[in-house]
Amino acid sequence: MQDAGVGQAPGRCCFEDTGVGKSSIVCRFVQDHFDHNISPTIGASFMTKTVPCGNELHKFLIWDTAGQERFHSLAPMYYRGSAAAVIVYDITKQDSFYTLKKWVKELKEHGPENIVMAIAGNKCDLSDIREVPLKDAKEYAESIGAIVVETSAKNAINIEELFQGISRQIPPLDPHENGNNGGIKIGKPSTQAGPRCC
Amino acid sequence: MITQSWDFSRQYSQEHHEGNPVSSAAGLKQNKNRNKESQACSRALLGEMSAWTMGARGLDKRGSFFKLIDTIASEIGELKQEMVWTDVSLENGLGPTEAHSMVRQKADGYSEEKDVKPCPRDSGYDSLSNRLSILDRLLHTHPIWLQLSLSEEEAAQVLQSQPPGIFLVRKSTKMQKKVLSLRLPCEFGAPLKEFAIKESTYTFSLEGSGISFADLFRLIAFYCISRDVLPFTLKLPYAISTAKTEAHLEELAQLGLNFWSSPADNKPPNPPPPHRPLSSDGVCPASRQLCLINGVHSIKTRTPSELECSQTNGALCFINPLFLKVHSQDLSGGLKRPCTRTPNANGTERPRSPPPRPPPPAINSLHTSPQLSRPEAPASMPETVNHNKHGNVAPPGTRPAPVPPPRLKKQASFLEADGGAQPVTSGRPRAGPEREREQRERAREPEPERERERARAPPEEAPGRCTSAQPGASESRPPWHGGRQRLSDMSISTSSSDSLDFDRSMPLFGYEADTTSSLEDYEGESDQETMAPPIKSKKKRSGSFVLPKLVKSQLRKMSGVFSSFMTPEKRMVRRIAELSRDKCTYFGCLVQDYVSFLQENKECHVSSTDMLQTIRQFMTQVKNYLSQSSELDPPIESLIPEDQIDVVLEKAMHKCILKPLKGHVEAMLKDFHMADGSWKQLKENLQLVRQRNPQELGVFAPTPDIVDVEKIKVKFMTMQKMYSPEKKVMLLLRVCKLIYTVMENNSGRMYGADDFLPVLTYVIAQCDMLELDTEIEYMMELLDPSLLHGEGGYYLTSAYGALSLIKNFQEEQAARLLSSEARDTLRQWHKRRTTNRSIPSVDDFQNYLRVAFQEVNSGCTGKTLLVRPYVTTEDVCQLCAEKFKVGDPEEYSLFLFVDETWQQLAEDTYPQKIKAELHSRPQPHIFHFVYKRIKNDPYGVIFQNGEEDLTTS
Repeated sequence: MQDAGVGQAPGRCCFEDTGVGKSSIVCRFVQDHFDHNISPTIGASFMTKTVPCGNELHKFLIWDTAGQERFHSLAPMYYRGSAAAVIVYDITKQDSFYTLKKWVKELKEHGPENIVMAIAGNKCDLSDIREVPLKDAKEYAESIGAIVVETSAKNAINIEELFQGISRQIPPLDPHENGNNGGIKIGKPSTQAGPRCC
Repeated sequence: MITQSWDFSRQYSQEHHEGNPVSSAAGLKQNKNRNKESQACSRALLGEMSAWTMGARGLDKRGSFFKLIDTIASEIGELKQEMVWTDVSLENGLGPTEAHSMVRQKADGYSEEKDVKPCPRDSGYDSLSNRLSILDRLLHTHPIWLQLSLSEEEAAQVLQSQPPGIFLVRKSTKMQKKVLSLRLPCEFGAPLKEFAIKESTYTFSLEGSGISFADLFRLIAFYCISRDVLPFTLKLPYAISTAKTEAHLEELAQLGLNFWSSPADNKPPNPPPPHRPLSSDGVCPASRQLCLINGVHSIKTRTPSELECSQTNGALCFINPLFLKVHSQDLSGGLKRPCTRTPNANGTERPRSPPPRPPPPAINSLHTSPQLSRPEAPASMPETVNHNKHGNVAPPGTRPAPVPPPRLKKQASFLEADGGAQPVTSGRPRAGPEREREQRERAREPEPERERERARAPPEEAPGRCTSAQPGASESRPPWHGGRQRLSDMSISTSSSDSLDFDRSMPLFGYEADTTSSLEDYEGESDQETMAPPIKSKKKRSGSFVLPKLVKSQLRKMSGVFSSFMTPEKRMVRRIAELSRDKCTYFGCLVQDYVSFLQENKECHVSSTDMLQTIRQFMTQVKNYLSQSSELDPPIESLIPEDQIDVVLEKAMHKCILKPLKGHVEAMLKDFHMADGSWKQLKENLQLVRQRNPQELGVFAPTPDIVDVEKIKVKFMTMQKMYSPEKKVMLLLRVCKLIYTVMENNSGRMYGADDFLPVLTYVIAQCDMLELDTEIEYMMELLDPSLLHGEGGYYLTSAYGALSLIKNFQEEQAARLLSSEARDTLRQWHKRRTTNRSIPSVDDFQNYLRVAFQEVNSGCTGKTLLVRPYVTTEDVCQLCAEKFKVGDPEEYSLFLFVDETWQQLAEDTYPQKIKAELHSRPQPHIFHFVYKRIKNDPYGVIFQNGEEDLTTS
């Protein structure tokens, strides 16, 4: 659970969303290419993943957040202490994009100050039934200073890029804090928190 | 499941590593004779083992190798104990001289030893105690050669004047590693060379070498004998390698780094002045007594190190597996013994009853002191004397009446039930070889211990104490106690021995203690149950064995082998736990005072969270103190690889702080929850939730059936018995794993939090355990903050969330909102997560002062300022003027707002002292330091706005 290697900057990320394939993004992320780095010890709601970024290795502790409305009140427990949040929406469902905006708002208001936000439009393999234009997502992301990518957990498109992007944005932790934190949390139209120091 | 396998592999790797030097050494070129010797020894060892196992009991059924070892270890423990008992009676009955003749008989070949007389001043003493092993010498003199803070230049300077082969261990800032700086002979070009020391999670090794060691001392000791990757073997400074007594070594060690420049650092041509007699004899009369004991102990075979000391160009490598084990036992013995002998908490020694024997003559009398119960005690002067030291703290006369600890009672009854086979054997004099070996062991007591002990406790004191101070309890104290502990020492299962050890050393607070420690007892056992296969029944029965003396003596050898399984980590934890009970150390005082303060002042915390956070904070601070202080001897860096230090310290904190507090904390948590109604709320809502079907809780994944829920319940119940938050979390993770397994096995797909959290909520409700609430709280607040981000933290968060959902079920249904109270808790928890890490030390923590700034126009703001204890109010005012950008500072002053009243602080007062005073009051006071206009309305309304955020901490 803890980084031992020198130069590793761990990040904690939370994922938020519901029914938009957030869990599959995480699974895809931890499974692809880096099999030797996965440690899905208990289950898919918490995973760790080490991502090379420049000369450093970033270790992501990925916290999945239950996205249903009934668990909404618990979300702060998950995104607090996160360095980055990945919010996942479904490009084939306009509703999920609205939910995403709500999450962003909540994170802005109650989330950690320097949280890195990333917006992932999942299911880009289904672009023929797309409801959310990429342009909208890009504009919105720009307005909130978030990273945006369209992903396909099914076809492993852009998943790696998503985390690489987060990795680059997460400020390097000073050595004192190194090794303790950082997590990514996953939620429904997802909010995700990236590595943050606490 | 996971934890268990992890535990095992860890143990395995430890053993593996410990075994490493032996096997690798065996592979090196060895002197043929020695090789034979070692083979013979191992053969003997195996022989013993099989003969004994066959004869003893059918162990084959047990199947597991570990169980086998453990059982053997326990048998040995009993035997050892038995032998010790024998020893005592022997000394009692026959007198030391006769005892000695026994030794002489057996110790053929070691003629010097025959000269030993019971007279403490006997000249034979010197030659006898000369038999210090290299490991002993290293252990005692680490302040000389272990110079972690030395720079490269300084090291070069020190070594410059030394002959080749002399070394230092320091920490290289360049490499961020420990290095061995070795002085080279001129022909090598450079005056010295550095060899990096590699630290893995469990071992130390030299870079480039395949041989790893459990700790730094063993590494150095090995390289004193074998060069391996070095150009030649290491050499101890002449003064150290020729020191004849531990006292002498200790004296040298006192010099620390100055040793190298002092006249004490003699070169071979000028032999060191014989300062032994003056110093040690002069210091304390007790040392004479010790001399005798020591002398007798020192009868032993030559160890490799001894041989090596005198011949620098001896064998390249000489390792006899048996000897090596003996060595490792020394070290472990040295580190672990103290904790058994150290009196406990509150500084009041736990009274133990004397043995059921008449008061013995002087020498034996020592053995009748409480330590008697320990297997090595009878012959071991140091231990008993150490005991005396505590006697000084609490003089014999003033002691409370002895209360036999429950453990003892248990053993007593067990003894009776077993038909008292032991007492019979114990009456017999012990055979020479056994005795010899014991002496050898004792002779290797770490110097610091002995020194301390030597300085106290004239032996004459002892008999009086034993007989007069504790007359009542004699029958209740069975002679078996020590066996128990020995056995636990050797047990492979770490947790079991921990708990056993704890039983013994747990302080007893009057008669209440009975219940306390039986509780602990239970807890301890449960700890063991979950972490390692229980072997208790075996242990218990093993006592009834009576084995031939020869076998016993051989078993004794074996026990050395087994006790070396104790990992440095465990030794360190024990060592710290022992220290924490020793009120003579700052650390011990700190811990004991805190523990008793908490137990006595139930009113000092406003909420459960407050209480737990204070405890957590205390643990963190003490950890910081320990890692910076020099109270640990040997230094923790020499035993524990660096990346493990924090982990080990954390474990030690659990043991010395949480273990004694567990019962109290639980009771307090319950009280708090009863008082604030959350207990009732949870109870009612839990019933409601239980009546719902899974779908109503949002569950759309397979759920565990009744059998699985029962299994989970058992795990939760085990969790309740643990005191370590980490172990609790491990169990929680096992529960989560089980839930996941059920979910995935029944559907074949992976589930994220969307599915897991509802199922977890459902399962927790099905378990119907109100105590889980306090359990989760305990873990959340007390777990090492660095673990809160990992898997443990995640599932703990989920469990907390699930419980909150249950607790607020009615509310949830209405508003689907977490109660503001729960949010509040979350916020505080988060605060801890973020703040604790930034507390580097106790001092820093105390150096902050929260000051509020009150302005009519702008309301109230607060800032945390760096204010050291001796900073006056005047200076704080200046600082405030600067920080709050006040234009007219003369109009402002610092006020203390407490108990609804305002006090302007005089310029020469110290705000930090005032704060400390307020904090130390038994009743918590809400107070604020406020920087505001002097002429302001003192009861300004504005202040209230900021109040919530201003709570000083």
